Amino acid sequence: MSGLQDLDAALARFLSTEWAGPVEILDMGIASAGARRRNVLFDARKDGFRTPLVATIIPNAAIQVMPMEVEASNLRLAEAAGAPAPHVHAVTDDPSFLGGPFFLTSRIEGETIPRRVLRLVAENEGLGARIARQSGEALARIHSVDPTKIHPDLPGAEAPIEAALLGARALLDGLLQPSPTFTLAWNWLERNRPSEPVQRALVHGDFRNGNLIVGDDGLRAVLDWEVAHLGDPMEDPGWLCQRMWRFRNDSLEVGGLGTRADLRAGYEGAGGQWDEARFLWWKSMGTLKWGMGLAGQAAAHLNGSVPSIIMAASGRRVAELEYDLLMLLKPAFG
Amino acid sequence: MQDRPTANELLEAIGDLLEKEVMPALKGPVQHQVRVAANLARVLEREVELAAPLEAREIALLADVLGEDVGARTAEELSRELTRRLDAKLDPVLEQRSWLALLEIVRGKLSISKPGYDAFDFADELEA
Repeated sequence: MSGLQDLDAALARFLSTEWAGPVEILDMGIASAGARRRNVLFDARKDGFRTPLVATIIPNAAIQVMPMEVEASNLRLAEAAGAPAPHVHAVTDDPSFLGGPFFLTSRIEGETIPRRVLRLVAENEGLGARIARQSGEALARIHSVDPTKIHPDLPGAEAPIEAALLGARALLDGLLQPSPTFTLAWNWLERNRPSEPVQRALVHGDFRNGNLIVGDDGLRAVLDWEVAHLGDPMEDPGWLCQRMWRFRNDSLEVGGLGTRADLRAGYEGAGGQWDEARFLWWKSMGTLKWGMGLAGQAAAHLNGSVPSIIMAASGRRVAELEYDLLMLLKPAFG
Repeated sequence: MQDRPTANELLEAIGDLLEKEVMPALKGPVQHQVRVAANLARVLEREVELAAPLEAREIALLADVLGEDVGARTAEELSRELTRRLDAKLDPVLEQRSWLALLEIVRGKLSISKPGYDAFDFADELEA
């Protein structure tokens, strides 16, 4: 699948079957073209009625993280639970249309780029706190999805705490250079591990500033569901509150937008059960994983598997995450 | 002795070129890559200036935590030894002394890679 015209014709063919009648594709544009997936924006017109859509396309099935049907089922369940997940119009794992699996979702207007989100928030009094509260509500609703309805192929460890520790240990043992800070943090996390969650929930896995569509009215949609899994619900707020998603607006813990109290009020207001100690554990765990992820990016550059100045530069960002971890561990050691 | 410009001065010239001339002429992913490269030139400028005393200090701090003589081992060897000892058995005194030393070492690295990053201290978000 190369040009926009081919894409246009293939989408028209797909939707005409899906919607049982001739469909016209209008105003097509590429929103993003990453290595793993690309997003194409367009309007579909049937019987004179236009529907604004996004096609999320995996260029080829070999690099797929999870089957499209599984990812789409997460969005549908979240939407049914009242979370702002874009509505799924169609999904297929059939590569004959676009060369790989894809799904079509409603296109929602708004800002996603963190700096623009923060600018919008700076211009609108109270908006950041509102988005933080709405994020809490959205997470509570995602976590409220009935586990028996979750797609059987959705990944997720039986014991998420143990799995997170083992995963981090493997990364720690694979570091190119020793990091006593990461070792200190891992040991603390291991000793202070919470009990495994009584019930696992649908976890978004990458809920953060950058994966949210916001407008001057607040949170409009939650994007990027490709690493969703069954896990400990407190993993999501722990990840959202990492310093790296604040984009220099450090004093506001929730993505540089609002406070933990805002987030928690939204979460509890929508029926979620907040567990502070567990939240703090996942926050440190997320920082550790991201720090070792950056070291891994530098290693991928150095061993030639992903030669890139961006990946190389990641190696010099490891110290930022080491610092964050040492600060998060201050109550234990400082 | 190398002739002038010094490494520092050359890195400054490279950083200026990338930031002021090359970056504005580009767009998209390549512009972002050049922005990152320009920033790395700034990092290296600071590294040329600061790395030697910081590494000496790192060795002194690690050797002190480990109870070793300064000069016997490199910073990387000492770091490896410290991770080994932290893993070997639970030692609260070693952990606490390590935390203090590591904080100073990490602040040193940040003074090269991202000055000012350590001004934020998470003070309001720590208590459980």
